[in-house]
Amino acid sequence: MKTLERVLAAADEGLDKSLERLFALCRIPSISTDPAHNADCVAAANWVVKELSGLGFDAKAHKTPGQPMIVAHYTPKLANAKSPHVLFYGHYDVQPVDPVNLWNTKPFAPQRVKGSDGVERLYGRGTADDKGQLMTFVEAARAWIRTIGELPVRATFLLEGEEESGSPSLIPFLKAHKKELACDIAFVCDTNMWDEKTPAITTRLRGLVHEEITITGPSIDLHSGTYGGPATNPIKVLARLIANMHDKNGKVTIPGFYMGVAELSQATRKQWQALKFSEQKFLGSVGLKTAAGEKGRPVLEQVWARPTAEVNGIWGGYTGVGAKTVIPSQAHAKFTFRLVGKQNPDKILKAFQAWAKKQMPKDAKITFSGRGGGAPASEIPLGNPFISKSAVALKQEWKRDAALVGGGGSIPIVRSFKDILGMDSVLVGFGLNDDAIHSPNEKYNLSSFHRGIRSWVRIMGALGEKP
Amino acid sequence: MPDSRLDKLLLQIDANLEASLKRLTALLKIPSIGTDPKYAASCQKAAQWLLKEFRSMGFEAAIHPTTGQPVVLATYVPPGRSKHLPHILFYGHYDVQPSVPEELWTSPPFAPVIRKSRNGRDAVFARGAADDKGQLMTFVEASRAWLKANKSLPFRLTILIEGDEEGDSVHLHKYVLANKKKLKADVALICDTNLWDAKTPSITTRLRGCIAEEVFIHGPRIDLHSGYYGGPAVNPIKALSRVIASLHDKNGRVAIPGFYDGIKPMTPAARKQLKAVPFSERAFLKAAGLTLAAGEKGVPVLEQIWLRPTCEVNGITGGYTLPGEKTVLPAEASAKFTFRLVEGQDSETIRRAFHRHVRQNLPPDCKASFDSSGGSATGIRVADDSLWIALGQKILKDEWGRTPVMAGDGGSIPVVETFKLGLGMDSLLIGFGLHDDAVHSPDEKYDVRSFHKGIRTWIRLFDAIAKKDSK
Repeated sequence: MKTLERVLAAADEGLDKSLERLFALCRIPSISTDPAHNADCVAAANWVVKELSGLGFDAKAHKTPGQPMIVAHYTPKLANAKSPHVLFYGHYDVQPVDPVNLWNTKPFAPQRVKGSDGVERLYGRGTADDKGQLMTFVEAARAWIRTIGELPVRATFLLEGEEESGSPSLIPFLKAHKKELACDIAFVCDTNMWDEKTPAITTRLRGLVHEEITITGPSIDLHSGTYGGPATNPIKVLARLIANMHDKNGKVTIPGFYMGVAELSQATRKQWQALKFSEQKFLGSVGLKTAAGEKGRPVLEQVWARPTAEVNGIWGGYTGVGAKTVIPSQAHAKFTFRLVGKQNPDKILKAFQAWAKKQMPKDAKITFSGRGGGAPASEIPLGNPFISKSAVALKQEWKRDAALVGGGGSIPIVRSFKDILGMDSVLVGFGLNDDAIHSPNEKYNLSSFHRGIRSWVRIMGALGEKP
Repeated sequence: MPDSRLDKLLLQIDANLEASLKRLTALLKIPSIGTDPKYAASCQKAAQWLLKEFRSMGFEAAIHPTTGQPVVLATYVPPGRSKHLPHILFYGHYDVQPSVPEELWTSPPFAPVIRKSRNGRDAVFARGAADDKGQLMTFVEASRAWLKANKSLPFRLTILIEGDEEGDSVHLHKYVLANKKKLKADVALICDTNLWDAKTPSITTRLRGCIAEEVFIHGPRIDLHSGYYGGPAVNPIKALSRVIASLHDKNGRVAIPGFYDGIKPMTPAARKQLKAVPFSERAFLKAAGLTLAAGEKGVPVLEQIWLRPTCEVNGITGGYTLPGEKTVLPAEASAKFTFRLVEGQDSETIRRAFHRHVRQNLPPDCKASFDSSGGSATGIRVADDSLWIALGQKILKDEWGRTPVMAGDGGSIPVVETFKLGLGMDSLLIGFGLHDDAVHSPDEKYDVRSFHKGIRTWIRLFDAIAKKDSK
């Protein structure tokens, strides 16, 4: 029997024990957003540190101003300075459980339940987000260590306890522990599969720039009777600016906006077509029927590979109850731009500002919040060896090609790894869209947990292979 | 021969100015914002305050409920041979505009103070100082002074003070139509307009009408994450912005089909009236921090605000508006509009045309809903050759030393239409506000001089009518 087969067999045999450990962790109500659960977060961190220490990790729960940050290192005996060093990220904190009365089981009394469809599911807060997911790589590490006595790859586990409360301690911590944490690659296990049969690797995330503008017309609010007509109305000016920001085909009209945006490669286009994504369902779930945005571009391409200019908020004049016949002095709006490819956030911001200034009629002035800022898109080239190794390993486990997907939103941790540690991230997770994370009756399919462990066993093995 | 009675009265008014200001201050302290249901009790309080004043002056007065805020109705019938005396209806409103944004006020909106304004004169600063509590109190104080000196009035007087002027005039409209007999007089005096400038009085003979519309644009069922849905999801803020952008053409004309239907071409008389007005477009715009006339291209500013209809956005809101960022695609955005209408336009037709235009300019997946409960007045012109106008010209000239400008007013006073169409009664619009009073804005004020000379102007009216009567 090959080594890998032996490790997989160990993972299978140990599944019940693995589940017991997962449930033990899930019983700790480590709700990071609620100060009443501070002690529970500490208890969860200590539990994880004890497990990892027991496996031979050099594990420690570091104090932060918020919840403890767990860092655990494992260096195999034969590793040297040239061996790849891989970081695994997950979080041990969970969402609040309200409204508790909508739960069918107690949120912190995890249960394995076989549904009428024959599918076995693990119910409880954190089973999917993210305790179940982080335990897939912890249990995979255990299977390796129990079978061959050590991990096949140099690894650092970084497990935080503030993910659900905005990760306030993360950036300072990364900055303070740069040397200890900078690895060749980060594996982030907090995402979903494409569907229950198809694994997924997220390889691209859109970047983001935001800006807030104020348009000033008259020096004071005016009576719309006395001045209505000849007075410049900043709301009208703002509305025209927003209306002019896109052409008839939904393309952004800001000059230079699309610089650095590449068309999809044939291979990627084909791959995404093969995903059989239902635009109708995606839009239908939020009450829409027609894809807005760039005409002629599929929805998936729009959200994964195309930049956008969006208005997130607008206000000006009288917005209280009833009517007020005023021509306001000012109107305001907040914008975000989702970026892709090589779009440069600073250049986009400057291009927007220059364009917006040009939209102003004589008596309107525009000012910018000055807080505008952002981050470029993250894209890992498909040829990246960590991606290809992971893709092969996932295919071996799931018997299907892993979908190489994008994410429309930015994931802050990925950004921070890149900016602070200069490290790319590969996002592999085993959640499903119906896991009800953040909602009552959160669950994780048993197959997600079991085959998630097996997937990491394979990926860790592949990472340890000599090239 | 010196006019001893009038002079004595004027002296008394001068001497009692302090006390008059004190009473105005008391009224200004009551935050009677008629459009905000939270202030209903304050509106009631303002009405009660007026009721007490009128009764103490010898009026028969009562508060009457309406479908909106209550009205105060006070009548004074001179004892004896009153039948042949003229009957005057005085109209004012005790409600005020909302006071937001309060942080922009130098002193709190409902804590009136007297200090120098930017024009160098003392002014009362408070919400409602000019619009309309200060103005209505000029007439109340004149009545008080006359009654104190003469024990009776030289005409039958009905005073009607409403509480919905800044909101929905429908309420008063209904009340007036249900009380025609009580309210029908020979003329309505309305004190809610401006002087031409600090030195020159004016009489307003044209008013634009006003209707209000609120539009809600609904897009996705729920607020969306702009990362997951940004691009393919329709954004109601964008849709609303496009609707607003579509309301005017390149030349500043309102692009709603049929909007200008029914408007009569400008008459030579109107052209002459406009020409006679000493008006500086530059100064008018500069007062508001502007340099260039927006609006209809090629149409002079005065013509725009007196004789041309408009479509304005008064407020807009949607999505995340608090400090910081939130990457949301909102489910809804809304905006408040007012349309200033001129003689010949029909408000219901305009509303329908507006609704149609909005719907036709929406992208797929966006729906519009409307709140059409605001305003209903159409544009109106009052006869400018009546005896009452002549009387108004005389008293203004006597007090201010200048012939009043016969003006238009861009704003609307819906009650003028109600009086004209409902009671067949013309209005005489005389007011003492100034363009820099910041009505509807932070730091609203009313010059002490406006208040003082306003009272003096009205006392001259009482005197002129008394003299006519004795002849």
